[in-house]
Amino acid sequence: MDTPQTHQFKVIGTRPVRHDGLDKVIGRAKYGADYSFPGMLYGKVLRSPYAHARIKSINAEKALRLPGVKAVVTHDDFAPQTTAPVYRMGGEAAVNPLYLASNILAKDKVLYAGQGVAAVAATSPHIAEEALGLIEVEYEPLPIVLDVLDAMKPGAPIINTTIRRKERPDEETNIAGEFQFKRGDIEAGFKSADIIVEREFRTEMVHQGYIEPPNALGIFSGDGHATVYTSTQGPFDVRIMSATLLGLPEGSVKVVPAEIGGGFGAKLTVHIEPVALLLSKHAGGRPVKMVMTRTEMMRGATGPTSGSVLRVRMGATRDGKIVAAKCWFAYEAGAFPGSPVWLGCFTGLSPYNIDNFLVDGYDVLVNKPKTSSYRAPGATNAAFAVECVVDELAQRCGMDPLDFRIKNASREGTPSVMGPKFPRIGCVEVCEALKRSAHYQTPLAQVPGKYRGRGVAIGFWINGGMQSSAIVNVHADGTASLVTGSVDIGGSRASTAMVVAEVLGLRAEDVRPAVADTDSIGYTDGTGGSRVAFATGLAAYQAANDVVRQLKERAAKIWEISPEDVDWIDGKAVSKRNGVAPLTLKDLAPRLTRTGGPVTGRANVYATGVGPSFAGCLVDLEIDPDTAKVQVLRCTVVQDVGKAIHPSYVEGQMQGGTVQGLGWALNEEYVYDEKGNLRNASFLDYRMPTCLDLPMIDPVMVEVANPGHPLGVRGVGEVSIVPPPAAVANAVSAAVGTRITDLPISPPRLYRILAARHG
Amino acid sequence: MNRFEVVTPRDLPNAVKLLSGRNHAALAGGVDLLDLLKQNIVAPQSLVNLKGVGAMDAIETDESGGVRIGALVKLSEVAANPTLRERYGAVAEAAAQAATPQVRNLATVGGNLLQRPRCWYFRHPDVNCLKKGGDRCYAPGGLNRYHAILGGGPSFIVHPSNLAPALVAFAASVKLIGPGGERTLELERFFTLPRIDPTRENVLDTGEVLIEVMIPAPAPGAASAYLEAREKQSFDWPLVSVAAIVVSDDTHLIRDARVVMGAVAPIPWRSHEAETALRGARLDSSAAARAAEVALKPAAPLSDNGYKVPIAKALVRRAVLRAGGIETA
Repeated sequence: MDTPQTHQFKVIGTRPVRHDGLDKVIGRAKYGADYSFPGMLYGKVLRSPYAHARIKSINAEKALRLPGVKAVVTHDDFAPQTTAPVYRMGGEAAVNPLYLASNILAKDKVLYAGQGVAAVAATSPHIAEEALGLIEVEYEPLPIVLDVLDAMKPGAPIINTTIRRKERPDEETNIAGEFQFKRGDIEAGFKSADIIVEREFRTEMVHQGYIEPPNALGIFSGDGHATVYTSTQGPFDVRIMSATLLGLPEGSVKVVPAEIGGGFGAKLTVHIEPVALLLSKHAGGRPVKMVMTRTEMMRGATGPTSGSVLRVRMGATRDGKIVAAKCWFAYEAGAFPGSPVWLGCFTGLSPYNIDNFLVDGYDVLVNKPKTSSYRAPGATNAAFAVECVVDELAQRCGMDPLDFRIKNASREGTPSVMGPKFPRIGCVEVCEALKRSAHYQTPLAQVPGKYRGRGVAIGFWINGGMQSSAIVNVHADGTASLVTGSVDIGGSRASTAMVVAEVLGLRAEDVRPAVADTDSIGYTDGTGGSRVAFATGLAAYQAANDVVRQLKERAAKIWEISPEDVDWIDGKAVSKRNGVAPLTLKDLAPRLTRTGGPVTGRANVYATGVGPSFAGCLVDLEIDPDTAKVQVLRCTVVQDVGKAIHPSYVEGQMQGGTVQGLGWALNEEYVYDEKGNLRNASFLDYRMPTCLDLPMIDPVMVEVANPGHPLGVRGVGEVSIVPPPAAVANAVSAAVGTRITDLPISPPRLYRILAARHG
Repeated sequence: MNRFEVVTPRDLPNAVKLLSGRNHAALAGGVDLLDLLKQNIVAPQSLVNLKGVGAMDAIETDESGGVRIGALVKLSEVAANPTLRERYGAVAEAAAQAATPQVRNLATVGGNLLQRPRCWYFRHPDVNCLKKGGDRCYAPGGLNRYHAILGGGPSFIVHPSNLAPALVAFAASVKLIGPGGERTLELERFFTLPRIDPTRENVLDTGEVLIEVMIPAPAPGAASAYLEAREKQSFDWPLVSVAAIVVSDDTHLIRDARVVMGAVAPIPWRSHEAETALRGARLDSSAAARAAEVALKPAAPLSDNGYKVPIAKALVRRAVLRAGGIETA
């Protein structure tokens, strides 16, 4: 049988140079901050020094008198907003426009230090910054709450007085959302367990750490149209959100996506795009450019991901079968509702087939920035807790940690935590590939004077489908262009162009991919949820087949036969009737003019058939007992990638996610003082690993075809970040003999553990 | 960041004249200065570009066997210099371990010695701490995991320079030129504790420019080592650094020793206690451990930085042994 795994592809599975590679390497690619227009102004945002305060007054008179200042705006300059949701991401994500507007420019109260309060446009960035200092804001400081458990206690300072829990409509609360998943009989499950492990874990807020700070260039034209140039993962998301905040019809805003210097989920929402437009509107339509500083990016409204408190209790029989699991997850939402806790609830236990479980999740407001998505949002926190407990259970059962996981693994037909049964998935295959790896087969040698440990963990991510559009144009020289609306953050230009090349019988380099603005391509959901190679790839596949259909008609015309008598085999039109030589696209392209004119293929999809993904991470590390420094010695990541279209970029995603997970495990954390000020708001003080900190991450791809895609493709971008924190914690636990429960495992924290254990 | 102009003076006397005026700042590599400007910690009207005045950019050996390092010499040049690597290993090693290759190609020796502390209260634009003329240091009772365990009070910053402990260990001096002429100062006396003046880390006067570092010839039989403990492997500030020099004979009898710790105190912290303990002893792991013990005896950690004490002990022990040619883990 011809399957994606056995089919002999000509382009898919090869490793051509990416189409956007040269421009990026030599600095010619245009990123958000590279755009400029004549008469352009520069915008800056005044940000709150308080973590919680009532705004009593804002007086911008002095700022407006400063020569060069052209506009000052505040929240009240947005169109009036309500809490009625605006849907995006194929209807799967709802945005509360009042919260969105208030997060960008505060309404009545500031809820975290770094929240925008007012914005200025001036003829130079220096004047704009000077003007910020002239805006007089009178604050009345309010009590703050920073810790997620404190925020849940009765009597805690209340951040949003309109929020209520369903069962307690009279009580103000910081619990903005509750989620529960359950199956079976949890009490009976634990009764049947021989071994029970229960622990509480804690993680801190971490930032996505993209290199390019958020930016926007807004032009509000006099005729009711507006244009935004910005570095974003979701041009259509920026369109709907900007239009809503400015009170414009969605179609009157055009968003031009720039190249993007990293996003990792955080650039799926708007940060300053509506402000740039608002300032342009108030400055007579002059273009306004805004680029955040690194400090603004980290303190401000760009959204790190949630810190969390995670309680996990799991029980297993002596022979290693997990019989019950109880999870209690509380995630920091930040100042506005919307942490990814429900995704943590859904994903945490998904690798395992457990008959009895109860998962409770809480979305908790604290006086910190509104969180936003970060690569497999919510899953990493939950997996950290679950995988540490699973590791301990395996140890207590006396089983190999991978055998234990395989024994309990979810397979095709296992009901997921949400209920629906899994399609064909690769959880077992990932564990088996880890077991087979040279890394796992080589015992870790101990050295005198150091503590060494090995740890393993697995992780799950749902992946996304949603809406994509694609256009394929055939050129007279026998090449083609591919136009999509998917911003390329992980090599998706290359992968979608390769799909088109495969179908049309071209070389990858003969298909030029372009990312279009929101007026030039059909609606396309954002580049998130590992959906682009899958869903936009599906649109590209269908658009290419639309070209094939038309090329068969042209060949039929040339051969003077019926189109039904033409096949398309291996990139060639082949006549079923007589013995004429087949025609390739290169043969047909110059003859399009005289056979009916240009050929364009198009497709618009709402992609279902999403293939969830699993990854595993194996880490060897060494601890210097004197300095409490953890050094990663060796790291292998295994992932079910469905079908690797461009293996190098798939491996790159696996390595990149792993590195971020290792940074989360070992170094990264938002450090807040008691007043709610972020103390390490720069890359000099917020410690992300670089290539000098880590060994080469060894990627191992497992290809379990996704039955929901004609080429077997699964999303590959996110799941690799999920297992590393647990793998590292398990390795450190193995090395020092104490179970690790708090991240990051940095020297100050690890030293306390070493001192407690070893004196 | 405020608006400012960049002035390139004709020569050093003109630079000094400019810098004596109000609100001028000296620009060399610009690494720390740019960061301070961006955070609005300083807001000078003019930057006086020292790179334009010529000179100060060489590493030279002098008649007495010492070495002179111009203030504009880059850290990467210090790290790669054969003389420094051979005779002043700790200095070259300290330069090599600073920041990143890109930063080392920009950052100068003068700038490294004069950089402001990396304290997260000092560096925050909204915090008017003692160091910025405010009325309190926020480290005690605040977040102090990176702060001083020695010599602190009333400010608890740690001196951020990598080079300084190594240069102090080698008894280096600095040459300063100012409106009143030239002066030479032992580097050890150049740095000053917050109890003298919490707003500054050294005795450089307004208008004065640090133009040269002079290191005397090392004693015969001297060998040195520099070690750092960091959270990350690279591109990070030390949690603790130690420069050690051991002068010994082939029976491992220590005739003299210098032990200077970095990132533990508001100045490079020379431990006379450790040096005394080592002098006359035979170099072995127990002598090194004794030196480490006495070096940290005066330590007075704050609430969150006690972990630095055992790390500093370990590094003193290892640096002494490594300087003496005894390798440890």
